[in-house]
Amino acid sequence: MRSFSYLSAPDVETALRVIADGEGVKFLGGGTNLVDLMREGIERPATVVDITRLPLTGIEELPGGGVRVGALVRNSRLAADLLIRTRYPVLAQAVLHGASAQLRNMATVGGNLLQRTRCLYFYDGAAACNKRAPGSGCDAIGGFSRGGAILGASEHCVAAHPSDMAVALAMLDAVVEVESVRGVRRIPIADFHRLPGDTPHIETALAADELITAVELPPVPVAANSRYRKVRDRASYAFALVSVAAALNVEDGVVTEARLALGGVGTKPWRATEAERALLGAPATEDAFRRAAEAELAAAVAGPQNAFKIELARRTIVATLRRLLTEGSAA
Amino acid sequence: MSGMDTRVAGGVGASALRPDGTLKVTGEFAYSSDLWLDDMVWGVTLRSPHPSARIRSIDVTPALAMPGVLCALTHEDVPGLKFHGLDHPDTPVLAIDRVRYQGEPVALVAADHPERARRAAAAIVVDYEVTEAVTDPWRAAFDPSCPKVQEGGNVLRHQPVRVGSVFEAPVVVTGEYEVGMQDQAPLGPESGLAVPAEDGGVDLFVATQWLHVDRDQIAPCLGLPPEKVRMTLAGVGGAFGAREDLSMQIHACMLALRTGRPVKIVYGREESFFGHVHRHPARMRYEHGATEDGRLVYVKAEILLDGGAYRSSSPAVVGNAASLGAGPYEVPNVAIDAYGVYTNNPPCGAMRGFGAVQACFAYESQMDKLAEACGISPVEVRVRNAVSQGSRLITGQVIDSPAPLAEMLRELEAFPLPEEPAAGGRDLRALPGGVAQTTHGEGVRRGVGYGVGIKNICFSEGFDDFSTARVRVELAGGEPHVLVHTAAAEVGQGLVTVQAQIARTELGIDRVTVAPADTRVGSAGSSSASRQSYVTGGAVKAACEAVRARLDKLAEENPGLTLPELLERSGPVEETREYRHRPTYPMDPVTGQGDSHTQLALCVHRAVVDVDVELGLVKVVELAAVQDVGRVLNPLALEGQIHGGTAQGLGLALMEEIQVVDGRVRNPSFTDYLIPTILDMPPMRVSILENADPAAPYGLRGAGEPPTLSSTPAIAAAVRAATGRPLPRVPIRPQDIALPA
Ligand SMILES: Cc1cc2nc3c(=O)[nH]c(=O)nc-3n(C[C@H](O)[C@H](O)[C@H](O)COP(=O)(O)OP(=O)(O)OC[C@H]3O[C@@H](n4cnc5c(N)ncnc54)[C@H](O)[C@@H]3O)c2cc1C
Ligand code: SF4
Repeated sequence: MRSFSYLSAPDVETALRVIADGEGVKFLGGGTNLVDLMREGIERPATVVDITRLPLTGIEELPGGGVRVGALVRNSRLAADLLIRTRYPVLAQAVLHGASAQLRNMATVGGNLLQRTRCLYFYDGAAACNKRAPGSGCDAIGGFSRGGAILGASEHCVAAHPSDMAVALAMLDAVVEVESVRGVRRIPIADFHRLPGDTPHIETALAADELITAVELPPVPVAANSRYRKVRDRASYAFALVSVAAALNVEDGVVTEARLALGGVGTKPWRATEAERALLGAPATEDAFRRAAEAELAAAVAGPQNAFKIELARRTIVATLRRLLTEGSAA
Repeated sequence: MSGMDTRVAGGVGASALRPDGTLKVTGEFAYSSDLWLDDMVWGVTLRSPHPSARIRSIDVTPALAMPGVLCALTHEDVPGLKFHGLDHPDTPVLAIDRVRYQGEPVALVAADHPERARRAAAAIVVDYEVTEAVTDPWRAAFDPSCPKVQEGGNVLRHQPVRVGSVFEAPVVVTGEYEVGMQDQAPLGPESGLAVPAEDGGVDLFVATQWLHVDRDQIAPCLGLPPEKVRMTLAGVGGAFGAREDLSMQIHACMLALRTGRPVKIVYGREESFFGHVHRHPARMRYEHGATEDGRLVYVKAEILLDGGAYRSSSPAVVGNAASLGAGPYEVPNVAIDAYGVYTNNPPCGAMRGFGAVQACFAYESQMDKLAEACGISPVEVRVRNAVSQGSRLITGQVIDSPAPLAEMLRELEAFPLPEEPAAGGRDLRALPGGVAQTTHGEGVRRGVGYGVGIKNICFSEGFDDFSTARVRVELAGGEPHVLVHTAAAEVGQGLVTVQAQIARTELGIDRVTVAPADTRVGSAGSSSASRQSYVTGGAVKAACEAVRARLDKLAEENPGLTLPELLERSGPVEETREYRHRPTYPMDPVTGQGDSHTQLALCVHRAVVDVDVELGLVKVVELAAVQDVGRVLNPLALEGQIHGGTAQGLGLALMEEIQVVDGRVRNPSFTDYLIPTILDMPPMRVSILENADPAAPYGLRGAGEPPTLSSTPAIAAAVRAATGRPLPRVPIRPQDIALPA
């Protein structure tokens, strides 16, 4: 690990000033991703500003039925919160399916949103990787790409976004609240994570001097009937091969509202708008679910090693919707 | 003799408490990575980024110019022999003019801080000329146009086995199988501390499996006589074969001798994946011929093991694959060819099960095919062909101790099957996908499979395999006390506990201390091949017997005296003994015949799995095992070995694989190399048999490896039964089940 200076910010103002004034300043949340990347020499901040003392740890109900979650709420607390579990079961489940208990105790909401890809080549300093070293190329394309994305990839990067939490947030139309010395911005989650395009190293809409202060969950009544399903290589403590966040409202056998987002398959947390469109007004049947999945996955592109993800995603979408229909959001 | 009660508590057969157990559970055990001296400096290794390249030049001057750096060394600084190796010194201490695998050590740096050392190592300029990497073991072995990884050619050993001449049968089943590259994944990374001594020698504290074989490789490379390299075992965080070859030992000593300071080297997790050998990946082609009622007529097989860039213990691995390649079955006609080959892939060598694991997956898959072709059950086909005491192995060796395989299978089959829970209301943790909600029971199919494995215990093929023990009885605080001193490595298996148990039983004294393992006593041989209870146990027993004989004599000469009184009079009584198992013999290079093993051990597994066939997820519901261990020395430690070995076999069946692409390791981390968690490992039902081997101490049979063999094919068979898929490769991944290409 490179040497760096460490500073513990007593308040938001200090944190914002330090990052506005300094070069190579990084915020430290739970550190579960940043410290790993520093150890591998992939992140090399000159200054690390510990933000865990900032008063951004609340989970508050908003007028109108939404919920505001502070950026420093630990993942384990978020998953255990009663308000979250009843209004947004999909979010509680998604968080619980990520990482391990120890990691969730450390990981923060802000850090989770900004966690970086698990592409094996991104971690290997000797490999070409446009995300790590812009312009160097992409060894994952044509290499070992079992974990690669099938949606949203470009010829410059095919890395999948690893977060479970962010998939649920994408489904919920969450809004990310960020702050800098220049003021406060509210970024819809759909715009927060970027497609790789020809700048895969730019992953989010967050400016270099901005702090995530909160995530706002709008009222989403259908989310009361939502769930998260994750397919992985072992029973716990592994990233998703495919995951699905879904919410469904059915009246008289017809889908009146549907929300769907995918993890493990997209270069960003993937809101499945095509599938949602196909579901709306369709009969709540296995056939319709399959057609919806196929509508979304029509655009999927895979290499020989991750081709299985297309079919696996189709099956997981159908199975998740089927379960929502029969059992609701009960875990 | 007076005062000697051989029924002392905590002896052989008791679940005596491990002296290291509480410390390990509470996090207070000092592992080799915890070693510390105030004036020590840190060593770091620069490794090759290329699987194959010529080295044009190495320039260490930029490293030397950096702050805190004490020295930077290359092959030119190796004081003595420039090669080491378990079987043959073929592995450069530091690369000379070429590198043969990604991660090969090229240069060393010592600095006052590990990060400074790392940066300095990164500043060393190595001019590589990248050359074609040989990564396909088949091509390496059989394509004459393939470049040679080692001068002698790419086939490091070809061991045939030839018996009989009938290779036609009414029922024939064939298959091609593959086993991925498994890692030992010990939690403790390679680490140690080398301390320069005033006599020009060095004291090395290190986590290893065999102190003396390390010393005998280290000393010539340092240009020192063996007695000037004094080694002490440091706390070992697991081994499983990963510590049989040298890693940082010579490097730390070189840096210590050069700087005159104690030097500590600790690999990180990623470096650890490059710092030790792995289990050989295998490609295997099998043909079994049998009668209509499933009796084997012949077995033909070709077993190709990728040994990677250096020799390590590959020749012995090939020997095991050949001699055990048809399994514990009576086969009258055999044509097996086992090959070990050099490639520019990561070097492979010892791992729990040592050469017997790969073939076991293949021959057991074949036995299931045969059962199906003959319309009999998997258990029945195995029982009909099972070896027993008096059977001949395919090497011609007669099994001369109990081998009740048929009985073991019948017992296993008779275990009640776990109930299939009714749909709905199931505990998610008991379902495929666990709590990730992948299924609540729909689309889940159950499968049951059996696996049988046979493993040689102790070193084979003529190796002079022995251990040494020094036992001393003396008065401490007025009471008799035993000190047991061996060089045997406690790697977590419980050997320290067992040594004390043996001393208690043999001497009837309950106060026993096992001295730290070091090279001040003779070699104990390796903590591998399931051999230490047998061989070091045998040595401790023999030394105790010699001490007891002297005490008996003393008692005879001094009638009426108690043991403390005798010891008061005689002073300490100490004896040292070497113990050897019966000799073994090489395999005939053409026919494979020969009494190459000294002891054979059997384990059988039944796996019950639930498979979500839609998503390809497997939940192993239960693993049941029957193992014959000859004699139980410590029931709890033994069960631990059976559970642990079984779990490692589960890992190979379902998830563990080092991904090597074009000679490069792609997943050197525990985030990407998956090992089973507690949620993946089911409860076990274990039955332990005690049919004594008269040739072994207490009749015991080595127990650590056999369960690793049979659990893998049992799980694969169960998944096949649930899905109807052929699944010729392990590890089996979700896409192999749900979405085959
Ligand atoms: C072994 C392992 C397994 C894992 N498995 C999973 C999994 O299955 N699913 C999953 O979703 N995740 C998984 N994770 C990832 C884990 O969820 C993330 O590491 C975690 O959420 C990151 O949160 P943190 O607070 O520790 O972030 P940090 O490491 O502290 O920070 C991450 C990044 O965010 C920045 N940052 C943090 N907070 C803020 C803020 N408020 N404003 C601006 N920038 C900020 C930091 O500067 C840094 O760049 C796994 C991680 C590990 C190590
Ligand atoms: S896929 Fe993206 S992250 Fe992976 S190597 Fe290519 S550019 Fe880098």
